Amino acid sequence: MKQLPALGKNSTVRLSRQGGVAAIPALSRPREIEFASCDEREREQVCSVLEGCVPFAAENAGQGDRRYFQIELRYRDDQQAGEWVLQIPEEHAPGDLVRLWKNGTLR
Amino acid sequence: MGYSSGRRGFIPPYILGRIIEHGSAQQRERALGTLSQLRDLLPNPGPANRQRTHSAIAERGRAGEPRRSIHDAGGKTLLPGALVRIEGQPPTADAAVDEAYEALGITHRFFWEQFARDSIDGHGFALIGSVHYGTGYENAFWNGAQMVFGDGDGEIFNRFTLSLDVVAHELTHGIIESEAGLIYQDQSGALNESISDVFGVLVRQFKQDQTADQADWLIGAELLTDRVRGDALRSMANPGSAYDDPLLGRDPQPGHMRDFIVTRDDNGGVHLNSGIPNRAFHLAAMRIGGYAWEKAGRIWYDTLCDARLANDADFAVFAGLTTDNAMARFGAASDEAQAVRQAWADVGIVPN
Repeated sequence: MKQLPALGKNSTVRLSRQGGVAAIPALSRPREIEFASCDEREREQVCSVLEGCVPFAAENAGQGDRRYFQIELRYRDDQQAGEWVLQIPEEHAPGDLVRLWKNGTLR
Repeated sequence: MGYSSGRRGFIPPYILGRIIEHGSAQQRERALGTLSQLRDLLPNPGPANRQRTHSAIAERGRAGEPRRSIHDAGGKTLLPGALVRIEGQPPTADAAVDEAYEALGITHRFFWEQFARDSIDGHGFALIGSVHYGTGYENAFWNGAQMVFGDGDGEIFNRFTLSLDVVAHELTHGIIESEAGLIYQDQSGALNESISDVFGVLVRQFKQDQTADQADWLIGAELLTDRVRGDALRSMANPGSAYDDPLLGRDPQPGHMRDFIVTRDDNGGVHLNSGIPNRAFHLAAMRIGGYAWEKAGRIWYDTLCDARLANDADFAVFAGLTTDNAMARFGAASDEAQAVRQAWADVGIVPN
């Protein structure tokens, strides 16, 4: 199973809901989380949510108009910069991921 | 804690502007309500491609006779839900149930009468539909085994069974899986979407006995509520013109290769770039004239079933095969073949 890359203060997370027969771009409601503006506890919480999604990641999750959540990670440290994209089928999306996308908070 | 959804970084500003600045709290809340129960979800049957699922109706009857069963998910997301109507039973008091039953029947009849195709797999695959999926759920989909329809939120979207072409679109996804198996990503994914739109709209024209020039060529015209400034989800005749709404923004579909959208979203823009082959089909059908399913539809169906159509085909390959199939069926110098060639040229695609 894939493992989440180390996400430092320079990381950015973009969450969006994709797909569906009515795939109107505005309804994807992308939300961006910049780790630089989060404290350590908040970053840990977000990383925990993302790690919980990894087992449910699928390719072409939108097949047949199914909806899915897209997680895009951009990270950079002294050594390297990278990008990671996960597709999580809607029916498998953990509640915390949905909450994070929907509300921008885990509360 | 709270996180910004500000305008920096790689969030498309036009999306954020419309949603955050123009969407009411109620609109946002209702649009998102679909997901409130996700924590309790059980998995869908999954991509059980071409596998028969449990059906309450008898095993195959006579060829060409549909085997429908409609289930009520009761606002939950456990599929298929409670069985409420099976083949041959009279209408219920539930409009969504009866709309799904009728739409699946018309779609089955269309493929049988026009192409001698018996259901999704060509061998009488049971047509299972679930309605009232989730709460205010704003989608319809094919999950590899059955079709699923939400009720919509009532503010942006009506119930999805209202649209015959959308029901037929979902059933066609099953047919595509049984035939070319077009990969749902980038250009092959956009072809997957376009072919579903093509046969979705043809089923509606067939039901309404419309010739190409009488049809509106809209997809999902019944789905948008009166509160939305728009005609439909998509326009095959004029991609990019289906809606222009303060909340939803403007229909972004391109109708020509020069406007092809490169994006990571939506599996590489499968619902966006489908506008290009959609328009090519519309142009071909209009040039040929008459009932669009009789010639243009036949050519597209021949191509879908053509063993040369690889699952990763791009637009140019598909264009080449439609031209080949037009020549094979109607003659190399036929008006039909010329109409297909010209249609692809008009959307900026050089057949491969």
